[in-house]
Amino acid sequence: MIQAGIIGIGQTRFVTRRDDVNLGELAREATIIALEDAGIEFRDIEAVVFSLALDALEGMENAERWCVEAVGGCKKPCIRVHMGGATGGSALHTGLFHILSGLFNCVLVVGAEKMGETQDAQSILNLIFDPVYEREVAINAINMCSFQAIRHMRKYGTTEYHMALVAVRSYKNALKNPYAHIKKEITVEDVLNSRVICYPIKLYDCCPRSTGACAVLVASSRFIKKLGKKRIAWISGIGSCTNSYFMGDRMDNSGLNDHADAEGLLIAAKKAYKMAGISDPKKEIDVAEIYAPFTSTELAAVEALGFCEKGESGICNEKGIFDMDGKLPVNPSGGVLTSNPISVTALVRVAEAALQVMGKAGERQVKGVKNAVATGEGGSLQFYTVTVLSKGI
Amino acid sequence: MSKELLFISQHWNIEFNHAAGETASVFFRAIKERKEILGRRCPACKRVLLPPRSFCERCFVDTLEWVKVGKEGTIEAFTIVYEQFRGLPKPPYAIAYVLLDGASTAMVNFLKKVDLNNLQEALERIKIGARVKVVFKRKRRGRITDFWYELLHT
Amino acid sequence: MRVAILGVGQTSYEREKGISLDELVFEATKNALEDSGLNLQEIESVVTAGSDGLDGRAISNMTVSGSCGAYLKDEVKVSDGGIYGLVLAYLRVASGLFGNSLVVSWTKSSEVSPDTVGNLSFDPLYLREAGINPITYSAIQVSLYKHITGARDEDAAKVVVKNRGNALKNPLSHLKRKPSVKEIKSSRFVSYPLREIHIPPESDGACALVISSERWLKTRKKTGQKYAWIRGIGWSLEGYYRDEKKELVKLSSLRKAAKTAYKMAGIKNPAKEIDTAEVSDITAYHEIMIYEALGFCGDSEGIELVRKGVTEIDGELPVNPSGGILSSNPIFASSLVRVAEAALQVMGKAGERQVKGVNTALAQGFTWSGTQGSCVVILDNRI
Repeated sequence: MIQAGIIGIGQTRFVTRRDDVNLGELAREATIIALEDAGIEFRDIEAVVFSLALDALEGMENAERWCVEAVGGCKKPCIRVHMGGATGGSALHTGLFHILSGLFNCVLVVGAEKMGETQDAQSILNLIFDPVYEREVAINAINMCSFQAIRHMRKYGTTEYHMALVAVRSYKNALKNPYAHIKKEITVEDVLNSRVICYPIKLYDCCPRSTGACAVLVASSRFIKKLGKKRIAWISGIGSCTNSYFMGDRMDNSGLNDHADAEGLLIAAKKAYKMAGISDPKKEIDVAEIYAPFTSTELAAVEALGFCEKGESGICNEKGIFDMDGKLPVNPSGGVLTSNPISVTALVRVAEAALQVMGKAGERQVKGVKNAVATGEGGSLQFYTVTVLSKGI
Repeated sequence: MSKELLFISQHWNIEFNHAAGETASVFFRAIKERKEILGRRCPACKRVLLPPRSFCERCFVDTLEWVKVGKEGTIEAFTIVYEQFRGLPKPPYAIAYVLLDGASTAMVNFLKKVDLNNLQEALERIKIGARVKVVFKRKRRGRITDFWYELLHT
Repeated sequence: MRVAILGVGQTSYEREKGISLDELVFEATKNALEDSGLNLQEIESVVTAGSDGLDGRAISNMTVSGSCGAYLKDEVKVSDGGIYGLVLAYLRVASGLFGNSLVVSWTKSSEVSPDTVGNLSFDPLYLREAGINPITYSAIQVSLYKHITGARDEDAAKVVVKNRGNALKNPLSHLKRKPSVKEIKSSRFVSYPLREIHIPPESDGACALVISSERWLKTRKKTGQKYAWIRGIGWSLEGYYRDEKKELVKLSSLRKAAKTAYKMAGIKNPAKEIDTAEVSDITAYHEIMIYEALGFCGDSEGIELVRKGVTEIDGELPVNPSGGILSSNPIFASSLVRVAEAALQVMGKAGERQVKGVNTALAQGFTWSGTQGSCVVILDNRI
């Protein structure tokens, strides 16, 4: 049976703007790093999956076509997926399907983000909502998460203090990540005293808008064997789930599929764990890179991923379970709260989880990682992707 | 050669004319003409969908029956926005998902007539579970902003 | 792993359908499920293909996820023409991780000016401000093609008459009137050398397919249904600036995609082995260019096929028996409609537009706005 593994990773440093390169040139930087990391060349790439999210944020429709030469995709099979924030997760899965279909042995999954070129991000993100029923009510990507946060607070007694703990940990971890965008130490007080953006979300509960690129090379077991590569992050499980478009459909008080919980993530995680043969994620997952653009998003996510019971994420954060020296470190990279290049944010989660499995995460390395999980989230907390990476398969 | 980096300024200007479709048109006309809020019931799972949709995504069948829902309901989620986002309204403003009496799903709209200048004071009044009423604009155009929510028992 | 198309669902194609986007997509999806004999509970994967720009929604599959049956399912969107949705669905099923998949694509052209959005698909530095949009880009290609091959206004007119004539027998068609050659030749120039009638209409419509693996099919009760097996599939993207000599009209990505698909299907002589084709006639001249890139004839010989009537519905190799994009153009869905129509031909379910004795059919699509990428699918009905 064919297996697929990650053999090379490339990331650029995430920053506010890059005025010295265009989108393709930025993607090329990450591609070259990934090729060097894998020890292969452009000609070894058999197909390309573009991880590119909102056209309106790039200011160009189908900008991937503009990038094709830059990433060595010319006259090769190329395809682009777009699932909002979950794009990178779906792109990685698409790379996996290429390999498992038996048609390809080495696939480049690559994307870049230059959202620093527009100042209108939240008004563009308002355009993801229904023009007939919801758009005029000024919903955007921040306040849609506020609705989730406030329901989580009400349902489980989660507090702004718990949210602040997530921010403090992420910022601290980012100090050891050379690619992280935001690098500074903050305290719980800093978070609690930061200005309210969309209550209960405050400034330090929010991710930045980042520019940067990420490339991941996925290869078949046959290709890996031929290459003689030893440090591989095998893709052992994947899952993906789409929830309802209308968030109000998840507020029916039936107790099922509640907007307070990341139910889509739970379903996706169950599928991925099943495929990876993981029955107790608390014990078997050693590290997680979670797509959480807001502190509150992470609280719901760790519960959905089975790292703690529903409603206990706040307490677990108080206990330091998800800290670098805790039982199950979450976002050793600093996560989305410190770097959010939206097109590739979910791909960066995969890349960082892969680095952990490969033992190549440098100062942010968690010891003895056998299984790592990476997630993606997009739409109205609607699309979720889960990828389990393992040392052996 | 000068090393100055140049910028190409672009502005997207695309006009859209989205068809609301028959179901949403009936819903908006009921608001505009009769100040009524109408949901659609799924014949299979019996949920009353609000805002109304012509089919149920869970059962994958057409919804056919119109149901008049109450003009009062309960806050299910809310936010109070204090940040100015380009192209979006001037803050502060509150947005709430409300489960109107008789509906199975919550519908979002602005929550008005609450002083938002002091967050803590506003939070004393705006809570999940708080009762609200629907208030209609005097001049209605057949848009979602033809109405908003206001707290009951103020 | 062998993969087959089990069912096809289309809406009718019209200038303006007074239903909302999610309702349009629901209709096509429901039709495809019905045609396949599967119920939604059995569906394991959903692939959507649409344009955020044309839909006026910044992540447009958010809107239609419910209508394409994706609620709590594994769904993904390809930001390209519908045929790319089929590519991804094929990969998902062929990977063995999914037994089957829906593929859904749509466009409501009536809600927007497609040319305005198309202009935004050209880069902001060099092309966008030079007035390049899908039509002007096509016109530049066509003028070079005419210069190289000597293709004439009459040749384009013949293609239009053929496709619009075929459309009369397709109950779903948007344009249902066969124009005369004289009328075509006096049609106004939109962008020289393209006349208004050489380019497709702008339609509302959606198309959906159900595909599955042979392995999954074996777990179901036999139905005696006819399937369209995907024998070959190829896709390719060429460089952004096709500025080398003649590269602009060579359709290199299409040639590469065809080569891959033919190799996979074991096709050596496409003109003989393919019984009918549904191709992306984004202009009348492009259909002729496609004949050459697909190897239906040699380079510069496409006009001969037209002049000899080879691709007429009663010719040796009928092309676009459905009426093609020149008759119905739900922009992003148009390339999936090619697959749907080719599948119907192979299944023998094409009704009045059925070509006799079809065992093998080809479907072809471009990436939208400028033919930079292309995809070719070979279907047949052999078990």
